[in-house]
Amino acid sequence: MAMLSQVGAISVKELKILLRDRQALALLFLMPTFFILVMSFALEGVFEAGTRSRPLEILVVNQDRGDLAQKTVKAAKRIGGITLVETGPSGPLTLEQAEASIRKGTQRFALVFRGDYTERLQGATADTRSATEPRDTAALNTVQAGRAGEDQPPAEHAAISLIVDPAINQQVQTVVSGIVSGIVERMRLATQLPARIQDALEPIADEIPPADLAGTGVDELGEPAAEIEKLIADEAQQITLEITPPRGFGRERRPTATEQNVPAYAIFGVFFIVLTIAKSFLRERLDGTFVRLLTAPLPKPLLIIGKLLPYYLVNLLQIALMFAVGVAVFGMTLGSLPAFAVLSLATAATANGLGLLVAAFGRSEAQVDTLAVLLAITLAALGGIMVPTFVMPESLQMLSRLTPHAWALAGYQDVIVRGLTLRDVLPETGVLLGFAAVFLLVGLWRLRLN
Amino acid sequence: MSAETTDEAVSMVGLVKRYGTHEAVDGIDLVIRRGEFFGLLGPNGAGKTTTIGMLCGFIEPTQGHIRIGGMPALPRSNTLKRKLGLVPQELAFYPTLSAHDNLAFFGRIFGLQGQHLQSRINTVLAMARLDQRDREPVTQFSSGMKRRLNIAIGMLHEPEILVLDEPTVGIDAQSRSAILETLQQLNRDGVTVIYSTHYMEEAQRLCGRVAIMDHGRVIATDSPRRLVRSLGDGIIEIEFAGPPVDACVEKLQALGTLRFQREDRSAFSLQAPEPETMLPRLLEVVRGFDVSIRSLRLLEPNLETVFLKLTGRQLRD
Repeated sequence: MAMLSQVGAISVKELKILLRDRQALALLFLMPTFFILVMSFALEGVFEAGTRSRPLEILVVNQDRGDLAQKTVKAAKRIGGITLVETGPSGPLTLEQAEASIRKGTQRFALVFRGDYTERLQGATADTRSATEPRDTAALNTVQAGRAGEDQPPAEHAAISLIVDPAINQQVQTVVSGIVSGIVERMRLATQLPARIQDALEPIADEIPPADLAGTGVDELGEPAAEIEKLIADEAQQITLEITPPRGFGRERRPTATEQNVPAYAIFGVFFIVLTIAKSFLRERLDGTFVRLLTAPLPKPLLIIGKLLPYYLVNLLQIALMFAVGVAVFGMTLGSLPAFAVLSLATAATANGLGLLVAAFGRSEAQVDTLAVLLAITLAALGGIMVPTFVMPESLQMLSRLTPHAWALAGYQDVIVRGLTLRDVLPETGVLLGFAAVFLLVGLWRLRLN
Repeated sequence: MSAETTDEAVSMVGLVKRYGTHEAVDGIDLVIRRGEFFGLLGPNGAGKTTTIGMLCGFIEPTQGHIRIGGMPALPRSNTLKRKLGLVPQELAFYPTLSAHDNLAFFGRIFGLQGQHLQSRINTVLAMARLDQRDREPVTQFSSGMKRRLNIAIGMLHEPEILVLDEPTVGIDAQSRSAILETLQQLNRDGVTVIYSTHYMEEAQRLCGRVAIMDHGRVIATDSPRRLVRSLGDGIIEIEFAGPPVDACVEKLQALGTLRFQREDRSAFSLQAPEPETMLPRLLEVVRGFDVSIRSLRLLEPNLETVFLKLTGRQLRD
């Protein structure tokens, strides 16, 4: 009984302490709620991308001299999972407009029907593509092609091209290419098969009455059936869905999974410094060392700079280490080193600024812990670290632009995945430095050292 | 009078610190002379730490002025900051670092460098009797050693004025004695010491003058001896087994100033210039009313009784 009373007393005491730290308590409840909301909305996008409820938007550039591209688009519009956009501000979309949209990051996919699409589908021309990848046995071939340089137009050998933002992860790309392949293949079969069957059956047409053909399996036809299959297989190799990045990116090949993932992991890790920084400030405040330092001939900004500098260097070291692993172990390429360096400096500055901000607002250890973890995880989720922002609902996409993570990720993807240069990442760098400045100034203003 | 020739180490005029409606310091006027060992004596919550905070510049006064060495304390120049050394009530250092590393860090922050820094580190380590263990992490130190390091950091840059806020809280008698000796030596060497404490014995032993503080105000300032002589009646504290009858209380009140220490009037203090001669008379009164005494304490005149006389409360309340 006495022991129970003791346990009760301890629990009541803990509860009282917890109840008095109302901000920490609020955060403890807010964090999981916020986390569930953000993660559910964000992940919903991944699982539902390419479904009727969350269709993927694809630009359509129709260069086809015939009418089959138009028919393909019409057929595609009847199926769920994708939304096709055929027109721009000044009429039908051009290849240049579609590529510009992808380069700007406003669109992720563009489907380009080449001039000879109809002819190819009808089997009138031979495939002249020179892709080095081995052909598979699928009816419609999908090949990954890179761009040798900015001035080279998309390959003309393919009847149909899917231009994809290189930052798009493989899973989502597979969904889109699968949908497109299915439609084109159906269109091809619908176009070619009747004529081919007709051709194959021509030698024996006189022996089989037309009425019997409808109810007879093709394999029962013996030699002619084998001929039809051969023809279908041969023709299949003439229709190629080429997946390619838009012109204007400096990449000569598709980015690897490592190149796509390492920037996200690196940013996620970098922002965990927020917890370390905030705790360090809190500890100095509680221990009274700040009070002692306040009496020293040391301006407050210098004190803050001196405190943040090592964490800044740790951040840079983190980034260097994470990308070094990517380069050394997975053979990833970093792209423009000046652009990479400038982005890294700006990202680390933002993370340090956020650390100071949390230090300024966290009044107890519980508050600092919860706030830092809440920010590290939810900002990462919102910023596209865990799932790409373009598959998120519109409202979350808007919110993601308010996170430094989204800008840092866009910058790193520009450099590493899209092969862009320092000049191209200046906007992202500027926004990151803006975040850093706001965080640092508000942090300095609100930070109590005693 | 120029700043260099003034005899005044610190002066505070009309100093007020308000937090919302609460006045932590309520109009303090004090002058502390160069070379003094000056005590701020008062119970917890009297406003001592807030006063020290304003003096050392980490708490902004709501009203009033402070001068240090004859110069206005605001804006606080680096020269002014170097004149002051603070020993906060908290153990304000980095526990995972060694004593040497802590001293080296704070020394550099105060502008010491090279040989001079090393020489000062050695000096204060020896004064704090930490020179044998200066490379160990401070986490391995006893409470007394930590308190000594706390003081060593404050005096590292050779301040003209050393301000200590309850520097001996929570340590053993031996460490306390060592600290007090060190401070007395520093004062003999010319350092002005401002010493905040709620330990009457320390104030009485160390301070040339004390300011007694209560509820944010200075209620008396003088040397401990003069304060005791002028205000220090002896005190007899009595606790009865139950509340005495009114007639008994009336007779006791006739003996001297009576202050009840409990609401049921079962405990009180009786203030008298000579408590030894008062005691037999008091016992005679009590005997006449058949009340049993649970405890009785006789206090000689000292700063504790001065405080009791001034406030009706004990210093440790």
